[in-house]
Amino acid sequence: MLQTLRKYCEVYRIQIKNNLAREASYRTNFFTIALVDLVWICVEFSLFKVIYANTPSLAGWRQEQVFFFLGVFFTSDALFTFLFQRNFWTFTDLVNRGELDIFLTKPIHPLFLALTRWVNFSALFNLVLGIAISIFYAKAADFLGGWKWILFVSWLGIGLLTAILLRFAFAIWVFWTERSWAISQLYYHFFSFATKPDVIYPKIIRYTILTALPFALIGSIPARALMTGLEIYEYFWLFGVLIVFFFFDRWMWRKGLKRYQSASS
Amino acid sequence: MKKIINLHWRAAALKNGFMDAVAYRAEFFIDIIGSALVPASIQLILWYAVFYVGQANSFGGMSFIELINYTIISVLFSQIRGGNQDFELQEMIRTGNLSQHLLKPIGIVEFVYIRGVAPKLVIASVCICIGVVLSIWLPITVPRIFGAMFLALLGNIIHYQVGAILSTFSFLWEEAYSVLMVKNLIVSILSGELLPLNLFPASMSWVWKATPFYLYVFGPTQFALGKWSVAQYLHALGVSVVWIAVLCVGIRISWHLGIRRYQSLGG
Repeated sequence: MLQTLRKYCEVYRIQIKNNLAREASYRTNFFTIALVDLVWICVEFSLFKVIYANTPSLAGWRQEQVFFFLGVFFTSDALFTFLFQRNFWTFTDLVNRGELDIFLTKPIHPLFLALTRWVNFSALFNLVLGIAISIFYAKAADFLGGWKWILFVSWLGIGLLTAILLRFAFAIWVFWTERSWAISQLYYHFFSFATKPDVIYPKIIRYTILTALPFALIGSIPARALMTGLEIYEYFWLFGVLIVFFFFDRWMWRKGLKRYQSASS
Repeated sequence: MKKIINLHWRAAALKNGFMDAVAYRAEFFIDIIGSALVPASIQLILWYAVFYVGQANSFGGMSFIELINYTIISVLFSQIRGGNQDFELQEMIRTGNLSQHLLKPIGIVEFVYIRGVAPKLVIASVCICIGVVLSIWLPITVPRIFGAMFLALLGNIIHYQVGAILSTFSFLWEEAYSVLMVKNLIVSILSGELLPLNLFPASMSWVWKATPFYLYVFGPTQFALGKWSVAQYLHALGVSVVWIAVLCVGIRISWHLGIRRYQSLGG
């Protein structure tokens, strides 16, 4: 078990090293992508700034609480972008061009290789900025801090896990469709629902983004849990949804592999 | 004679663009539905949160109904803005594919635009039809829908021109993808696509007035809803034409300077 873990760590270390070497040769690109993230953050903040210039609260949330939520959301999203996003974009090509073959022949889980191959270092800037925003607005948003920053890290992990499971559920259809571009685009359209606190949504949409399309688990639920805590049933709900998504993804992956034709699916 | 030949390649480029758009119909429609319905739903939800959850009577001087009308009508015009042609241009420069187009007797910047505008023309026609139907229930008139769509199409040209200038960063750097993404993000908020620009505090209104982006969605929506007089509309048309002329000069200069650095090596 320990030996297997060591093998995976070693493979990941090499992947990181390769990515660093690649990133070093495209330095300008690194900074411009960081700039994109910065502008995205500014746009989201401006949107809420304009809204709060016209109203003191939004569905009971003060401006500082929404900004704390944005901090948590940006951090969680940056983690996903840093570690996984690029891999999901290339996943389609792996299946369509039959390049998954190489991974299937190696003595390591093919999904591990497929989803850890690319690391996006420019997202580190967004990660740092997200954490800084969270720290800056924590007190004003009623987050008590102290030992609870450990919970902050745990909730980031849940946000990251949700993003992986959800993105995979959208990407896996490539085994059945010629091009999964449109389905991937749908993921990014729905992702917009994650950029707002779940409390603003009407019941039916709120229910959807907590169950069938759990985008609220990426940033909104973690932020709410840190600020005000969740009801007991919400914790069970959350873990239930993640478990269902995990088994659904695993089942789809196995079905997909059976359908995989190597040359082109 | 020369003019007829020029018209010929332009018509061919437009036809190519139409064929590209319909080749992947499912993707085309999923993208339209996603890019129209999701942002509109989020806007509607925001207004719901302000008025029903927050019990407000007005928001930035606008009533609930006015905000709903704005959101619905703005979707018609937000579908017209943009396009990916500027990204295509930067990719051509980056990969060296520009070379094969430079050999042809065509204006590359114009060629890429015409080819990419075809799907937008299809969408514009559909949006006009939807607008005409909506005029039965909403406070909009058919002539104003046509006028507003014309302004939105001018906005589409401006948007591409800005992108074509920014894409020349590819001649200097590894790529201009990020610069174009930054432009699109700024446009998303300053075009009035995310929320009406008159909600901006008075002290910040210069920000959106200083750019041509408000001509893409906010301007057409205001005119369609009758919030702008004909004089204001004509003024906006004049401003659009001035921007188009200025950006034409910008394209000539930036491409002239860029091509001199072009090495056609790709990478």
